[in-house]
Amino acid sequence: MFRWDLVWQYLLLQDPDKLFLSALWTTVWISVLAQFIGVVLGLFLALMRMSRYPFLTWPARAYIWFFRGSPLLVQVLLLWDGLPRVLNNPNLLLPAWACVVVAFSLNEGAYMSEIVRAGITSVDAGQMEAAKSLGMRFSLAMRRIILPQAARVIIPPLGNEFNNMLKTTSIASVIGLVELTGTAENYGAISFSIFELLIVSTVYYLLLTTIWGYIQGWIENRLDPNRKLKTEINQKSFANRMLGFGTSKTGGAGTLASGR
Amino acid sequence: MSDTMDTLPAGYRGENGLEMVRAESIVKRFGDLTVLNGVDLSVKRGQVVVIIGPSGSGKTTMLRCINHLEKIDDGRIYIDGELMGYRIVNGKPVEDREANIARIRAQIGFVFQRFNLFPHMTALENIIEAPIHVLHEPKNVVVERAHSLLAKVGLAEKANAFPHKLSGGQQQRVAIARALAMNPKLMLFDEATSALDPELVGEVLKVMRQLAEEGMTMVVVTHEMGFARDVADHVIFMDKAVIVEQGTPEQVFDHCENERTRNFLGMIK
Repeated sequence: MFRWDLVWQYLLLQDPDKLFLSALWTTVWISVLAQFIGVVLGLFLALMRMSRYPFLTWPARAYIWFFRGSPLLVQVLLLWDGLPRVLNNPNLLLPAWACVVVAFSLNEGAYMSEIVRAGITSVDAGQMEAAKSLGMRFSLAMRRIILPQAARVIIPPLGNEFNNMLKTTSIASVIGLVELTGTAENYGAISFSIFELLIVSTVYYLLLTTIWGYIQGWIENRLDPNRKLKTEINQKSFANRMLGFGTSKTGGAGTLASGR
Repeated sequence: MSDTMDTLPAGYRGENGLEMVRAESIVKRFGDLTVLNGVDLSVKRGQVVVIIGPSGSGKTTMLRCINHLEKIDDGRIYIDGELMGYRIVNGKPVEDREANIARIRAQIGFVFQRFNLFPHMTALENIIEAPIHVLHEPKNVVVERAHSLLAKVGLAEKANAFPHKLSGGQQQRVAIARALAMNPKLMLFDEATSALDPELVGEVLKVMRQLAEEGMTMVVVTHEMGFARDVADHVIFMDKAVIVEQGTPEQVFDHCENERTRNFLGMIK
């Protein structure tokens, strides 16, 4: 018999241990940390990849080739079980959370590097020349001139990557980390209510990705160079609506607005 | 700096004082194509040198080589006595350290055909960016200078406008102000009016003319023959990767000796 009461109990955190609250927290901090490291890694990999020196491009290519070309689950397992055995040193057994964060970050770095590269490539070459002609060095020009412009192209896919990351954390349950999926599996198995708890975790995943969708929309809106113009139009149409004149489309938050 | 000084050719500090730009037999190739085939150039302090010539003659490349936006395959370029872009190691030129190239570039203003303003910054922010982050000048000093430069190019009202809200002529004038904010000792203009609608060319030329009158050392690549005739101290006609003819505006425009120059000037008129 399917117990809806259990679903509601866990969903509304009515259980004594508030199991899903800590699970939710684990999922969020692992996602944020891994995504952050992934973005930083991706930035450096992209710069290496675009360098004119082969001793930088080739390691970056090999890295991207490996981490995009093999399953994340396998990478996690290799870090978890494989590393201590391959190096024949049981002290290298990393805690589960560390394995997960390292594997997710390394994997995400490979994907982010391609996104960052596309962003940097999208900036007109004249921008770097102008920066150089003003006496800027490469690093300063990147930081002040190129990356702020590349961000408009990078942010929308970065948002999608983070959405993915929130859900990918479920892989962590395989090595015993009790995030959302792990919690459902562990406690569901004990109380024979695994599907009830999986539904609870599904609702929480949806909650996270929905909230993120709104944040993403807000960020993209802020990066939009025509934001001011749009706001004016929206305000006008709002007034119009209040006065009962026709309707107009408003690009509200939460939509996957294109980043330009 | 001492290593570059040692390599200066004898008699370099000649009767006209230090030259601002001295280029010696510059060779530049793009693959099999030779775009500069042994070009010499001398620009003295306060001089306005205008380079004219048909498309593909190498004049823009020459200008870009001066501030090392292009590497050169042979020859030497000196900016105010310093070897540009290279240092001599065991008698051979090796590309210089980035910091050194950037240091010399900071003293050279470059105005691009396509303006290349930073689109994510207002006109004012475009101008103050490099003085603050490259020269590390205090912000209030730079902002004050930026406002007076904007007034100078006739855009005092546009300080807070983003580039996409400005016309081409206005953008180019902001770009000139941005270059001037670095207090350069040399200004390079690469077809600064070629991307403009005809009615906007005048306002940019006016600013360039004013700069020349103030004694700025300038190298100008242009198709504006009227400007070249009025403003230039020295006119260089380039064709097919070499300098074909050079001299005062009168010599080049009215008494040119070379047939290629005559043909080119005939086509322009």
